[in-house]
Amino acid sequence: MSDQATEPRRFIFHDLKGRRWPRLRRVLVLWALVVFGATVWFIWSLLVRPELKLPRSLRDMKGQLKAVIKNADVPHDRNALNWQKYYEQSPAAQERLARIQTQIRKPKPQNGEIRLGYYVDWDPNSFASLEEHAASLTHIAPEWFSLVETDSRLVIEPDAKLERFCGARGLAMMPILSNLSGNEWQPEAVENLANGPADKRERVIRKVVNEVLRAKAGGVLVDWEQVDPAYRDSYTDLLEDLAAALHEQNKELWFSVALGDDFSTFDIETMSDFIDRFVAVLHDENSASDEPGPIAGLDWVSGWLTVLGDYGDRDQWIGALGAYAYDWNVTRKRAETISFKDAMSRASYAGVDQSGDKVEVIAPSYNAEFDFNDGEDEHTISFLDAISLHNQLRLVRDAKFAGVGIVRLGTEDPQIWDVLEMRGGATKTNLRALSRLKASDTITHVGRGEVVTVDETRDDGTRVVNLEPNGMLTARYTDFATYPILYHQGAAGDHEVAITFDDGPDPDWTPKILDILKARGVKACFFIVGKNAEDHPRLVQRIVAEGHEIGNHTYYHANLALMSPLRMKLELNMTQRVIESITGCSTTLFRPPYNADSTPTSLAELAPLRLAQDELGYTVVLEKVDPQDWARPGAATIVQRVKELRGDGNIVLLHDAGGDRSQTVEALPKIIDYLETRGDRIVSLSELLNIPRQDLMPPLEQSSAQRVERMVAGTGFRIWHGIVEFFWSFMIVATGLVVLRTLLVAWLAWRHHSRDETGPVLAAPALSIIIAAFNEGKVIARTLQSVIETDYAGDFEIIVVDDGSKDDTAAEVTRVSASEPRVRLLRQANRGKAAALSHGLANARHGMIVFLDADTLFERRTLGELVKPFANPLVGAVSGHARVGNLQTFVSRCQSLEYICGFNLDRRAYTDWNCITVVPGAISAFRKSAIDAAGGFSHDTLAEDTDLTLTLQRLGYRIEYAPDAIAWTEAPATFRALAKQRFRWAFGTMQCLWKHRELVFSSRFPALGWFSLPSVWFFQIGLVALTPLVDAILISSVLFGYAAAIWYYIVIFIVLDIFLATLACWMEGEPLRQAWRIVPMRLAYRPLLAWVIWKSILRALKGALVGWGKLERTGAATVQA
Amino acid sequence: MKTLAFTKWRTAARGAVALAIACGLAACDAGPSQNPKADFRNQKLALPSQGVYAGAYIDFGEKEDDVTLEGIEKFEQMVGKHQAIVASSSYWGEGSFPDANVRLISRHGSVPLIFWSPWDKPYVEGRGPDRFSLTSIIAGEHDAYIDRWADGARDFGGPIIVSFANEMNGSWFPWSGLHYGGENEIPGATPKAYEGPETFKKAWRHVVDRVRARGAANVQWVLHLMDYSMPQEEWNLAAQYYPGSDYCDWLGISLYGSQFPSDAEWAPFLPLFDWPYTELTQLDPSKPIMLCEWGVGELPHLGSKADWIRDGFRIMKDPKYSRLKAIVFWHERWQNSEGDDAGKYSNLRVNSSPESLAAYREGVADPFFLGEPILRPAK
Repeated sequence: MSDQATEPRRFIFHDLKGRRWPRLRRVLVLWALVVFGATVWFIWSLLVRPELKLPRSLRDMKGQLKAVIKNADVPHDRNALNWQKYYEQSPAAQERLARIQTQIRKPKPQNGEIRLGYYVDWDPNSFASLEEHAASLTHIAPEWFSLVETDSRLVIEPDAKLERFCGARGLAMMPILSNLSGNEWQPEAVENLANGPADKRERVIRKVVNEVLRAKAGGVLVDWEQVDPAYRDSYTDLLEDLAAALHEQNKELWFSVALGDDFSTFDIETMSDFIDRFVAVLHDENSASDEPGPIAGLDWVSGWLTVLGDYGDRDQWIGALGAYAYDWNVTRKRAETISFKDAMSRASYAGVDQSGDKVEVIAPSYNAEFDFNDGEDEHTISFLDAISLHNQLRLVRDAKFAGVGIVRLGTEDPQIWDVLEMRGGATKTNLRALSRLKASDTITHVGRGEVVTVDETRDDGTRVVNLEPNGMLTARYTDFATYPILYHQGAAGDHEVAITFDDGPDPDWTPKILDILKARGVKACFFIVGKNAEDHPRLVQRIVAEGHEIGNHTYYHANLALMSPLRMKLELNMTQRVIESITGCSTTLFRPPYNADSTPTSLAELAPLRLAQDELGYTVVLEKVDPQDWARPGAATIVQRVKELRGDGNIVLLHDAGGDRSQTVEALPKIIDYLETRGDRIVSLSELLNIPRQDLMPPLEQSSAQRVERMVAGTGFRIWHGIVEFFWSFMIVATGLVVLRTLLVAWLAWRHHSRDETGPVLAAPALSIIIAAFNEGKVIARTLQSVIETDYAGDFEIIVVDDGSKDDTAAEVTRVSASEPRVRLLRQANRGKAAALSHGLANARHGMIVFLDADTLFERRTLGELVKPFANPLVGAVSGHARVGNLQTFVSRCQSLEYICGFNLDRRAYTDWNCITVVPGAISAFRKSAIDAAGGFSHDTLAEDTDLTLTLQRLGYRIEYAPDAIAWTEAPATFRALAKQRFRWAFGTMQCLWKHRELVFSSRFPALGWFSLPSVWFFQIGLVALTPLVDAILISSVLFGYAAAIWYYIVIFIVLDIFLATLACWMEGEPLRQAWRIVPMRLAYRPLLAWVIWKSILRALKGALVGWGKLERTGAATVQA
Repeated sequence: MKTLAFTKWRTAARGAVALAIACGLAACDAGPSQNPKADFRNQKLALPSQGVYAGAYIDFGEKEDDVTLEGIEKFEQMVGKHQAIVASSSYWGEGSFPDANVRLISRHGSVPLIFWSPWDKPYVEGRGPDRFSLTSIIAGEHDAYIDRWADGARDFGGPIIVSFANEMNGSWFPWSGLHYGGENEIPGATPKAYEGPETFKKAWRHVVDRVRARGAANVQWVLHLMDYSMPQEEWNLAAQYYPGSDYCDWLGISLYGSQFPSDAEWAPFLPLFDWPYTELTQLDPSKPIMLCEWGVGELPHLGSKADWIRDGFRIMKDPKYSRLKAIVFWHERWQNSEGDDAGKYSNLRVNSSPESLAAYREGVADPFFLGEPILRPAK
């Protein structure tokens, strides 16, 4: 048994021939090259653009719009004369008939013109226009109040942003009080308020006035439509009350007067006594609910101006002029209000200027109009521009009105602002300026639907502007301006709708959703996140197998707005490759994550879409029906929101991942019910777009060219996946083991601690105390003194072996021994600690040996406690309780804690199962016979104490721990010293583990072989060696937003550490609060330990001889007891 | 942004007829389907032993066929009751069976009542017969259309109540008896028969026969008259238009109180209802009776709409009128274009005023008025 120890051995790990390292190095370099090459290849495969063929039908969007030339006649303005029947009605007109009109109107100051801008909060262009042209405006009319429902409920929707803006820019707000709810006029709300009880009316008026005061508005602009003229007088009363309440607070009441058949609904003449301003709606001669026609024909405008002039004072009037366009879909009989720029883009796309159709602002209507076909439906667009506004403005100013309104901010021809500032007749310069149509960054919209194509082309246009002798301007559009265009497709029929799911697949929710879709026979589109697809390939396969479509939603659900084009390319390509490798087909569908709504409003938002579309070949799918199910508002609310939003669009967005989707799962069948009940057909995107599925998701065979790239990418993903998978399994196993070990150690230690030590007591045996000293002159005397002053009852000798010290160690010892005969000094040339101890041992006279480090101080009872366990004849060695005596530095304080809750707690636990792996050199006691049996100290490792301990274990001795045998030792005070010490420990430990490797999992030593030695292998070497890798993965996880999963592990580790530290401190009677120090300690130790372990591993692999000399401790620090 | 200039005409009637009997086939699956309301196939509408089905026509636009789920749900929320019957029109000039509408209505859980009106664009009253005249129907000129329509109804498969050529005893529609010889007696007929009603009955039977021949047994037919005939003369009374017990399943009327601001006086509910009800009961001893349309304008200067509605609900509950099995409220507001009423509105909506709405909600809340159709497997 002892042959291993006695036979002279080469130093463990020492490679005499020096071949191991060069061989190993060659293998390593080769591997590194292969891995590097493979990685580069992989990344390259991701950067190669997947060959996506955007279906032609989507690409050729320009081809779909065609100009249509209808008969070249100027459109008949059938409403142009409808003002005439009101012309003779007014009392004023009656008067005029009675006598020659000689009324003198006071001239209005030219510069006092009111400029009322109509504003909406739902169109960002409205605010942009307001910001830009605030200086040209005096009043702002925002949507604010509405009277709704039969019970005349007053809904107030304040707009804080506008309040602030108007306040800052000195603009008077005239919030609109309408009877509009959504898109529906609610006449009963007004009628019943006018006819209803007085208290109700007072309440509403008070609310309005209070809100006006709160918002610091200038008053209210009443806009009531479709109300019954039968109650004319009641309205007058109601408005009079409202006016009185407002006037009392110095606020104004303005009133919007609709022209046409509703003109006589209100008693304008009477109302002119208390209404501060009438706003004549000089537009919507033909509106969205009418057949196509001029929006504000000049004859119509001028006729109505004539009528209006007879009511009230002229300077009570404001003429609200249109600055927008209508796009009538003649085929489907519906119309859309669009901006001037939208009209330009549509005309330009349809090639109206190339078609020979004349688009002109000329007499009689001075409203331009053109027709086109969008591939399915016929459209007529009538638009108002700066030219038409110029002409109307002239009439309004001639009529001596107090000012004009612009309906509305955000839809206007930008040049109306120049026109507004033109005084007198238009000059040549004016005409030239007006003829240039300048493109801008405003995004315009063409088509309908939520599948969009971006066209950032911008192009100036031209209109030929002429001044007619009557002062009116005419224009002919020869070249339409083009603005950045979002071309919309996929509106399909009124009853086709698609359901889409973002962010999946998810193992919990996607299958549930697929089950529902399957049961209901509904096909959907899943915009998947590459990462999730890679994690759950089976789900992706199932999605495709069940007939659903798949779209790309980036790899990490990344925000495109915040990323470089390269990253975006990587995100999309990685996802594409994942989809390809799982499904065997590509996808051309893409939806950007974090798409708050489906309408990008700035060029910046357009850029990533264009990149996806033009460079990567994707079709961008947005959505308008977004019930925000991800926020978990409740299933009922999700359904309700779908109901409310369904009218706005036909692509529904839901989520099948990213959290608890139980509400979505609950809502989905109800959403399907609702859609089907309302008569919708739920279709796939390919059906919605009328494009074959294989065009949207082309099978891979079609593009065999990229087989290699796909294979590389696929393999790369699988390997990466494997690594990540392994990492997670490892984390889980490691955590489990740590928990197990911690609990076991805690339990054993606690059991040991609470056991009553009443074993047989040995009469104090004679002891030989051996101290190896190397340059310990400063401390040796005190060390000796601490031993000499012991309470120990028995006889003992102290042998100091001076291992060739160069200082006054020997002298110090001699000085002590002079007065203390029990102290002996042996001297030898420097041969290392093991040799010194052997030397001392050889000269020991007694059968019990105590080893003591030269810088370690005993307490009085230490010796007695230390030898107590020898009462048991099977005990071969006893470990004392070493504690850190120098607490001056952070490093040593850390070690103090480490000794308390690491080494000592472990020993306490191990002793019970007799599996202590190391009896520390600082304080230990041995039977001389045991050491002899072990063959003395070996010289082939750096950790002679561990080696000896393990040898004794092999021989069947018990190794005990004596917690009350306390010795205060000196710990390295700096990181450098600590690292040096730990390297020696680590290397020594590895040597011992290697030397005694057959003990591991040996059935003869169950506790040692299955518990304490594997613990050292796994926790002190394996786990520590892996920390850099683990940390790297942790950091990357945090960077890629997967921190949440990591936190569990971190928290578990910290809690365990603190728990164990607290337990240890409690057992040792240390203040519990220092247990917290374990946290910074771990942080500091982590890299240090990893470094020494790797250094040790490298040394071991290199097989170099690790010498004693340079690793010998310096041992000069002061030690405090 | 502008008033939808509805052109509405001089008359109360918009109408509907029909009757009906259930059809459909044997119940297919007994188990609850995924969407219980989704399928009325093979079910027929049963008559409630107690109570009256409540339904409505809900302002479905100019052609009365713009049926939307949103519109129905909003109305139901407003009145606080699900609708057992939802009425809409199918004009012959459109040339099609209103498949989407009937499916929407039945998926919603209501039985569709279709006013199947044989007239052509521009659907303006008072113009007299057009290409869909009763005589052309009798001559078989529109058989292809009728067959197509019947096929649509059959394929739909759920219960439908059809009111063909309603208010024929009025004077405004092109299918009025007035336009087809009216009071001219048919020589030698005993009892006396008149050309107008006889022509109507021929056309009715022709249509019903053809639809039945296509297998559309799921259609119930309601003979839908105006409460009082115009002119109220012997030749123009309900009995003259009755095509026989085999040819209809329900007997129905339109019942309107005052609708126009220029109306001279307020017509209370009872006299509008009692006499016509009795007239109908005399046509057949057992057929159920339906108010295919009922409604009244909000005309505070004439009378209280709320009271009128309250009276209506109270009177209709009277056991005296126990053959009344269904009522359909006419919920519409339109702007008049003629005479003294030009520009003014007729507001027949339930919510024309808070009081009217409250009266309707309160009245219809009575469980006597049934919000859910009772369906039985068709044999």
